[in-house]
Formats: sequence, structure tokens, C-alpha cells
Amino acid sequence: MAEYWFIADGFEERVRENLQSELEAEVDLDFGIPEKDFNTAGKGSSELKNLLKRLGVDSDILRRIAVASYEAEINVAAHSQGGVMKSAVYDDHIHVRFVDEGPGIADIEQAMVPGYSTADDLVRELGFGAGLGLPNIKKNSDAMHIVSEKGASTLLEFIIYFS
Amino acid sequence: MNKADSKYFHAIQILEDNCTGCTACVRVCPTEAIRVRDRKASIDPYRCVDCGNCVSVCEFHAIIPASDPLDIIKNYKYRLAIISSSFFGQFSEDISYAIAKQAVLQLGFDEVAEEASVTNFMVKMIREYIRENRDKRPILSSNCPAVVRLIQVKFPSLLPNLFHQEAPMSILTRFLRDKICREKNVSDEDLGIFLIVPCVAHVTAVHQPEGAYKHLQDGAFSTGMIYGKVREIIKDVQNHPVPIDTYPHGLTWALSGVQAELVDTDDIRALSVNGIDNVMDILSRVEDHYLDQYDYIVLRSCTNGCVGGCLNVENPFVAMSRIKKMIKEGKSVDGDISEMEKLYRDGEFKVSPLAPRPIMELDKDIKKAIQKMKKINEFLTMLPGLNCSACGSPTCYALAEDIVLGKATLDDCVVLKRKPSEDDD
Repeated sequence: MAEYWFIADGFEERVRENLQSELEAEVDLDFGIPEKDFNTAGKGSSELKNLLKRLGVDSDILRRIAVASYEAEINVAAHSQGGVMKSAVYDDHIHVRFVDEGPGIADIEQAMVPGYSTADDLVRELGFGAGLGLPNIKKNSDAMHIVSEKGASTLLEFIIYFS
Repeated sequence: MNKADSKYFHAIQILEDNCTGCTACVRVCPTEAIRVRDRKASIDPYRCVDCGNCVSVCEFHAIIPASDPLDIIKNYKYRLAIISSSFFGQFSEDISYAIAKQAVLQLGFDEVAEEASVTNFMVKMIREYIRENRDKRPILSSNCPAVVRLIQVKFPSLLPNLFHQEAPMSILTRFLRDKICREKNVSDEDLGIFLIVPCVAHVTAVHQPEGAYKHLQDGAFSTGMIYGKVREIIKDVQNHPVPIDTYPHGLTWALSGVQAELVDTDDIRALSVNGIDNVMDILSRVEDHYLDQYDYIVLRSCTNGCVGGCLNVENPFVAMSRIKKMIKEGKSVDGDISEMEKLYRDGEFKVSPLAPRPIMELDKDIKKAIQKMKKINEFLTMLPGLNCSACGSPTCYALAEDIVLGKATLDDCVVLKRKPSEDDD
């Protein structure tokens, strides 16, 4: 099993606290992500964006959340056999988890390199698969965590603070 | 015109006597501004962006576009009409562009000008503006008043990306107002400038311009109304034609696609979008910086651009085809734009920064907003989820929101009222 952690400078303490706390989310939003269904992929992140607009989340932060969740959602649709997106909204941050049904990421470090992609022809024909998904999620998150194993499922989660 | 008490004026009127409470309008409103309560529709003036969807969908003539009666021109000594480019796509092909224009003049105007006459100038100015504002990408067109208001209410973070200069008909108004006062020796009050417009958003913009610094127009006439009056006198005009300037190449302004092609050049990539649902989808992607590869986006609320406006008489595709034919076959008079360019450089066409009018936020305080959202979700689980609109709110979610905001109760749900919950007994 391989694991990847990224925590932006200065957020270590907050992230640890948040992950340890058993606090229930204020609002939950769950979406299924079917395999290779690019007509639906993106719907979850767009619903999430609408929800956060209603909560009055600052527009720059909203954009970061929208980009990170969209990229992750497309990743699940493009590379896995389908999965789920689970968003948990707290009063000062959002925690989004993506869990898929495999086949896992062979080499996470390599997958984090901008431009590296394992996307198949179908995915590339549809205009995805440029190898910028994971780096883009990292760039927009305050914390990002990936757990994966070749041949098994992948968990990708990120945290973004509202201020 | 009847100005409502509200801070926000709209050129849309509801005739309660005709309204059956059918909720067709509720379902097509892109900003969820309409509710039916006690079988009558009402519009929230804060949310309405004047797109005209409700006007087009109402089968009972209960939602009426308001525009000015032609008689008001009599209050002015010198009368100028400025015609929207989409106007000339309304007439069957036996009525020429020049004849239609002459007929408008003979409705009682001293002079007729055309939006199409400033197209070259607009293209030049837009390109210059894009190059001067490379830090903002993409620049969003501001000519469609419904789009401007949509951005104010639903995408306020994009307000700085709007092309902050007047729309062509207002530029022409500023330019001609000074010119006519000077050359014809009439005072500002005696000069009446009127627009002939294809949609309610433009009527609203005349009566409540966003960001305008100076006196612009004195009224707006609907294309449909003017079309009717022109038809009455057209035979006579056809028998007595007079020479008149036309600007077929400038008519591109009525077609969003062709307009984008005009602005597009080596260092400027332009995208054209029309239809308000497409516009909302694109704006959402612009917000997330997914369309930064474009320098300019032409956004029009109506199908194909202004030819799709709800005050037109012809189908937007037929009108577009006619205008394309005129562009192809016609010879344009290339007007001198140097005077206008000077005014642009002097800042005469600037508009003030547009203010947001957010409608999405449940509360200014995020903690309170979350509490409201939780209550909305609680009510949502009680509602049937049919999104039937029979309660008068567009969706079950909207009803839940209305309940939490104190604008409705669970009793408004027709389905719940009819079928009491099975676990109740």
C-alpha cells in the first residue's frame, strides 16, 4: 500500500486537529461517479459549488474548491471503475473524499509529476488526460492525502479552509 | 411608463387577471425569481435579470413586456431613433433594408441612426481594451443587459471581467446627443433619443442603465410595435423611395457568432455563446478559470444573439439567415470614426464599476448560512422530490428554501396535502 501526503505550510496543526476530531459535518453532500461517464462527471463538483455559493464562501476559495473537486471527480471517472465523492462541510473548512473501486495508482510519486498521464485513448479523445489532474488538486488544496494500492481501491481526500 | 416602487425597475408586467397560476414561468426562470402564490405569479425584482424567458413561455398573455408608446416622441422638438441591428432581419425579403429604414424615419422621426454604424468602431475599441487589460482574462462582452445583470446576481466575482464601456447604442447616443445639439442648434431637453429594441432587457436598460455616468436615452420602443407601424405605411414608402445610408456589414452585431469572429484575430481568441442556459454554464467555467485560453467571450442571453429577443416578430434562425444575406450582398458606407475614437480616449464611454447584487447567499454569516442550509435539508427530506412546481416554487429545494426564509409553509406542497404520510396513522 502506498500513501502520499501534502500539507501546505502553516496548516499542519489545523489539519491534524481536524482529522483527529470526531466532529460531525454540518452539511454532507454525496455523489456517485460512474466509470467513463463524461456526461455526468463534473456534476458533483458543480452541485458542491452551488451549495458553497449559498453558504457565501469567498469567491477565490470557492474557485479552489471547485477546481480541486472537478479534477478529482474527472480522475475517478477517467481512471477507475467508478466511485463516490463525499463532501463534508464544516463551518470553517471543507473535507472532500473520493473513494473508487480500483484499479489503484501504480506509482503515486510519478502520478504527481505534471504532464505524466496513464489515460487511455478514449479519455484523451474526450480532451482529458493531460496529466495535470493531481498536481492541480495539490495546488488548490491546503491538505491532500492519497492512499492507493495497485489492483485495489484509491482514496483521495483534500481539505480547504474558508479563511 | 409605469415605474414600480421597487429599487429595481423591470420592463415586465404581470396582468393578474390573466394569470391562471400555471407555473410555466416559474419553471423557466434562470434566477428562480418567480413564485406563484394564491394562483398568481409575482416576480422578485431583486432577482429578475429581464431575460424574457417568462414573457415567451406565458400562454395566457399574463406576462407582458412593457415598452414605451410611440406618442412620447411628441414631447420632443427633435427626434432621433436608433435602431438595433436585429430589426432588419424581421422583414420578408421583398422589403429592402433601405426601405425598412426609411419607413422608420417616416413614423415621425427627424433622423434615424443604426447600431450597425458603430460596429467597426466597437471592434477596434474592444480589441484595444482587451490588449490594455491582459491581466483580466477573459474579457466578457457587456452589450447584453440580461447577461450583465445575470453576472451581478449569480457570478459577482466576474464583474471585473466585464467590458467596462457603454454598449454600441449608448455610445451612439452619447456621440449623437452632443453632435445634434451642436449642429442642429437644439437644447439637450428638446432632443429626444429613442431606441428600437429586440428585448425587455434593453427596455429596462434604457430606464435604469447600469453604471451610466450621463443622460442617455428618453425611451425604448419594441421592435414588434414598430414593425406593425412600418407595415402600415410600407406600400407608400416603397412607391416613394429616397436615398438612405445603410450599414450591412455592421449588422453582425445582431449575431453573437459573427460578432466573435470579427473580434477574433492573431493575438485575440474569441468565443461566442448564446442562450441563457449556455451562458450560465460558460460563466460557471470562467469562474473556475477553465476558459482562460479565451481573451474575449461574446455572451448573449437569447438564441443566436439579439435576433432571438422576445420583442422580435421573426424566428431567430430565419432572421439570422436574412441578416447574413444582407451582410454578404450589401455595400457599407464606411463612416469616419475618428471623432468617436477621440471621445473614447477622453473616457466619454466609460461606465462606473458595476456593483454585485448577490442572490445566492443564504446569510452574510457563514455559520448562520450553514444553520439555514441544515434546516433547508430537513424540509427537503419531508418534501416529495417531484419538482412539480405545483406549490408555486420552481423545485422542492426552492420550496424548502422559501419555507426557511419565511416565504412559504409546508402546507404549500400540494402533493403532501393530498396524500397524508403513511406513517401518520
